Amino acid sequence: MIGQIAYALPFLAQGLALTLWVSLLVVVFSLVAGVIMGVGLVYGPAPLRWVVRIFSDTIRGIPILVLIFFVYYGLPAVGLHLPSFWAAVLALTLFKTAQVIEYLRGAVGSIPKGQSEAAMAIGLTFRQRLAYVIFPQAFRRFLPPWINGVTDAVKGSALVSLLGITDLMQAINQVIGRTYEAMPLYILGALIYFAVNYALSLASRRLEKRFSFIRE
Amino acid sequence: MSTSSKIDTPALLDVANVSKSFGSVEVLRSVSLQVARGEVVTVIGPSGSGKTTLLRCVNFLESYDSGSIRIDGKEVGFRDTGTRQRRSERDLAAMRAETGMVFQSFNLFPHLTAAGNIMLGLRKVRGKSSAEARSIAEHWLGRVGLAHKADSLPAELSGGQQQRVGIARAVAMGPKILLLDEITSALDPELVGEVLEVVRSLAEEGMTMVMVTHEMAFARDASSRIVFMADGGVSAAGPPAEILAADTDNERLRNFLARFRASHF
Repeated sequence: MIGQIAYALPFLAQGLALTLWVSLLVVVFSLVAGVIMGVGLVYGPAPLRWVVRIFSDTIRGIPILVLIFFVYYGLPAVGLHLPSFWAAVLALTLFKTAQVIEYLRGAVGSIPKGQSEAAMAIGLTFRQRLAYVIFPQAFRRFLPPWINGVTDAVKGSALVSLLGITDLMQAINQVIGRTYEAMPLYILGALIYFAVNYALSLASRRLEKRFSFIRE
Repeated sequence: MSTSSKIDTPALLDVANVSKSFGSVEVLRSVSLQVARGEVVTVIGPSGSGKTTLLRCVNFLESYDSGSIRIDGKEVGFRDTGTRQRRSERDLAAMRAETGMVFQSFNLFPHLTAAGNIMLGLRKVRGKSSAEARSIAEHWLGRVGLAHKADSLPAELSGGQQQRVGIARAVAMGPKILLLDEITSALDPELVGEVLEVVRSLAEEGMTMVMVTHEMAFARDASSRIVFMADGGVSAAGPPAEILAADTDNERLRNFLARFRASHF
């Protein structure tokens, strides 16, 4: 069994690297898109708020697997052919963006209106109010669900194996295909996923502690 | 009226025929009010009379439907073209920096220290260096008796202390006019005095102020003029002695004062 693990590890390491790469891209893209769209949802003019609301509700109402297949198999019908890797990243990003929009809306919405007004009263512009008054306070509320979402992204990225991308999940399946030893490898795979996500939640706990000095 | 001496000097704040409705409720009905430089005007009246809304219109936290509000001759929320075209975000911010506002609920920034609250506007709006902003903040914290609390977070301060930081934050920006919106209403009675003391000393130094308040004794002693609002309009205005006289002809005012005396004395 040790031999099998030693044989499997280099494959799994490559798969893990891809899993982390996909997760990182999804997390970064969805953070940028989600924060921008979330600000649009909270502060934008009515038409923009509608667009973001419809986007978020629609995406969150679709199973992520359907979304992945839709982007990969569906979009070519309208002339958009994405390689499987980018189709997977796009689908997961759409999904995560919709979540980030809601985290942001909730976090910003929890800041009392008086904070914006006090910031207006000293002459801060909209961007300055967000940067120096609203976001620093909202960050603390945004962080816990968002980190949770990051670990979801890492786990959810296992679905890209269904498009034939050799991520950690697919690497596990391939090794099993060669060795016919399913159980040890699934356990090993589970441990690797767990190690990554546990490290993330530890990091999150430290971050939350750092920002806990803000009391209401 | 007592304002005859001020006819020649243009008013610092000129509110002219301002009306505003929230839906079908008319909260301001053609309100006019002039405040001269150095004047302290207190606005009294029953709740729902539009006092706070008027104050919020002066620095355009609220828009209004018609009329005009000018500070130093400049229209506050709309462009000077007379088209009621809203000013740009930048212009609005610049205009608001010229008026200080102190809130009933303090609204200090909880993630910043007392000094940090004061420094934010100085740095980002006035473009001061960190060191300059810090020394101005320390000066004003000293003025409100909180020099030793510069590095405390708002949560570590009492209500009265928080409100004094709120005042320091507003005046440190060097506003032309200070708006005070029921600044003692959220305070325990024993903390009201320390806040009013700060306001009084600013008044003595010639700071122009419009103050919405329920502190009648303070209105009587510290203001140059009292404005009584009822049902969204200015019902009476004049020097304290005239307005607070028990035998005023204005029935609404008489009733308001009678009820006030009954509940507070």
